[in-house]
Amino acid sequence: MAPLPALKTQYGARVEALSAALARDDEAAFLAVLDDMLHTRKPALFNELRDLTSTLQVALDRFRLDARLADFAEKEIPDARQRLAHVLKMTDEAAHRTLDLVEQSGPPADRTAKAAAALAGSWQRFRDRRIELKEFHEMLKRMDAFLPAARADSELIRKNLNEVLLTQGYQDLTGQIIRGVIELVREIEAAIVELARLSGGESSGAERQGRAARGHGPVVPGVTQGEVATGQQDVDALLSGLGM
Amino acid sequence: MSKDMKFLVVDDFSTMRRIIKNLLHDLGYQNVLEADDGKTALPMLQAGGIDFLITDWNMPGMPGLDLLKAVRADPKLAKLPVLMLTAEAKREQIIEAAQAGVSGYVIKPFTAETLKEKLDKILSTAAK
Repeated sequence: MAPLPALKTQYGARVEALSAALARDDEAAFLAVLDDMLHTRKPALFNELRDLTSTLQVALDRFRLDARLADFAEKEIPDARQRLAHVLKMTDEAAHRTLDLVEQSGPPADRTAKAAAALAGSWQRFRDRRIELKEFHEMLKRMDAFLPAARADSELIRKNLNEVLLTQGYQDLTGQIIRGVIELVREIEAAIVELARLSGGESSGAERQGRAARGHGPVVPGVTQGEVATGQQDVDALLSGLGM
Repeated sequence: MSKDMKFLVVDDFSTMRRIIKNLLHDLGYQNVLEADDGKTALPMLQAGGIDFLITDWNMPGMPGLDLLKAVRADPKLAKLPVLMLTAEAKREQIIEAAQAGVSGYVIKPFTAETLKEKLDKILSTAAK
């Protein structure tokens, strides 16, 4: 808005001309001066309208961005927290299960090694043909106990090792969940960059990218929606229902 | 099908490939190849000699469902047994895989018994 002295210079003379024409009842002169005044004012009105429109545009952009940020804050970030908590739980369980199995495998391994060491002395004396009859009978008795025990212990250890192997499968599932959260973080980053741009900051040029339809990833309790198979039995029932 | 039949295990996680490979070894199958997504698996399949495909669904590059569809669309591979071994557990996905012609569907986490059961079932069906 022009300061008052400028307005005075611009319009003062014409306002006087207007009232003079009015006093004279000179309609033609009055309208001519009035037209002239409106003509002078028009470009200024257009400029103000243009400013108003662009302000409105920024407000609309900002509203769209605010809606996206609200969605992040209300839904996707809490979901991501829940996903990460699930990752934590799975890795924790897998680590404990592995430790349990390793601990359970120690005693049978020790037992076998100790029993074999205890037999080794008598066995060597037997091979050297200098074992006494009493020790020989003792050795045979121990051997009778050792062979089935060693076999059972080895089988137990082998079984535990197989289970340790399977327990490592958590890494595949947690990896997929973490990748999803990384993608969300990337989207939030893009929104923040846009917010900075609207606020007059420099944009880094990050673009939003559509997520490829590669599947939903592992089921996360409380997050995954829709009908989900809760276990292999569910899957088998569904497939046999389809004639498979 | 004998114990020297050749498997291709497709999963983007090397840990999971190792687990499956070990389980197959335990079942007596020593001949196991690996690929980390459909894009690397498809040329291996097209090169011939693979008797059984075990694939994950959710993989970067080419997902397992697309690999399954590509296999079924290829006249040379159309009859290959394909076991989907995946964390994808939505009903509509399982139905989608069945419609695309999957031979079996196992969801993760899985057990050694489940894998054996499904393999045996698929192989006995394929032998008929």
